[in-house]
Amino acid sequence: MGRLSGEKLYEIFARQKREDRFEHVGTVQAPSAALARVYAWQTYDEAKWFEMIVAPRDAFEPVNRDEAPFTLHPAEAP
Amino acid sequence: MSPAKSGATAAGWKSSASVPEALHEALGLLLLSLADNKRLLGMRYSEWILGAPTLEAGIACSAMAQDEWGHGRILYAMLKDFGRDPGALEHERESDEYLNSELLDEPPEEWTDLLALNALLDTALSVQCEALMDSRYTPLQFKMGKLLDEERFHFEHARGWTKRLAGAQAGREALAGAFEVALGPCLRWFGRGEGGLWTALVDAEIIDGAPDTQRARWLSRVGRLLAEVGLEIPPAADADLDWDGWNDARRRSGTGGPDDETLARVRGDKNRAMLMD
Repeated sequence: MGRLSGEKLYEIFARQKREDRFEHVGTVQAPSAALARVYAWQTYDEAKWFEMIVAPRDAFEPVNRDEAPFTLHPAEAP
Repeated sequence: MSPAKSGATAAGWKSSASVPEALHEALGLLLLSLADNKRLLGMRYSEWILGAPTLEAGIACSAMAQDEWGHGRILYAMLKDFGRDPGALEHERESDEYLNSELLDEPPEEWTDLLALNALLDTALSVQCEALMDSRYTPLQFKMGKLLDEERFHFEHARGWTKRLAGAQAGREALAGAFEVALGPCLRWFGRGEGGLWTALVDAEIIDGAPDTQRARWLSRVGRLLAEVGLEIPPAADADLDWDGWNDARRRSGTGGPDDETLARVRGDKNRAMLMD
């Protein structure tokens, strides 16, 4: 499914126990952080998460590459 | 004076055996009303898994459908304590025996109609559930916490989409139309202010809040949401509501019920037929 106007990609991280490190569990596409939270919780429900967080992909600073692959939207990836 | 009311130190009722007989009918209707509305609302969410505007919204509908069906299953099972057979309740009733809001009789035609159910009716059910969190009928206390945890995300879904659609003229108009249709049935759903069916349950501390109180809680929550996007709600005082044809027990107007296709699907008729001797 392509991108709707105003939608962004959000990266989702979660951990099952307080002492665990966060692991990357996936992405959602949403028009707001509020809906990204809802989508993240309802989509990645494979575990009983202690904590889940989301961040817009464009908030991440690339370290060793300035362009794709990370900066690409999955729908645009080869 | 209510046979049950004895102040803040009132002991909890762990099963129907401790609940005064005079309250059984109303408490049974309360549970069945919540169960039926959740079962049918879950079906309405499920119908949009494949038709929602985005993949994520479809997955959200799937999750909300599962939540509602789970809540319905728990509530039907609770009716066993009152001598009802959950299997018969889930699979063998006729349309006019369902205690569902008239808003659930037929499938929502548009995404905005589903959002009206999500924002308004689902929230009404949650306000009712919140009024049972400290119920003197203690089995309700144990069930409502987890159920309401899940419902938090239903409201956030409704809020997110309401904001999004209200941002464009066409979406805003469609949303306003859908919300207007759903407002009346949701406002009435809490029941008449005085002398209604739920008075005895409120007096007995099974429900926290008379219909007017719960209606005010709902209006406050929904009103905030609509105010955020600049939509207005009509006058909501109990006296302004139209109670003509209102059925206290079914919490709806008129004599209708789920349409034939809805009924067959919600009962599981087709597939159960294959399993019968």
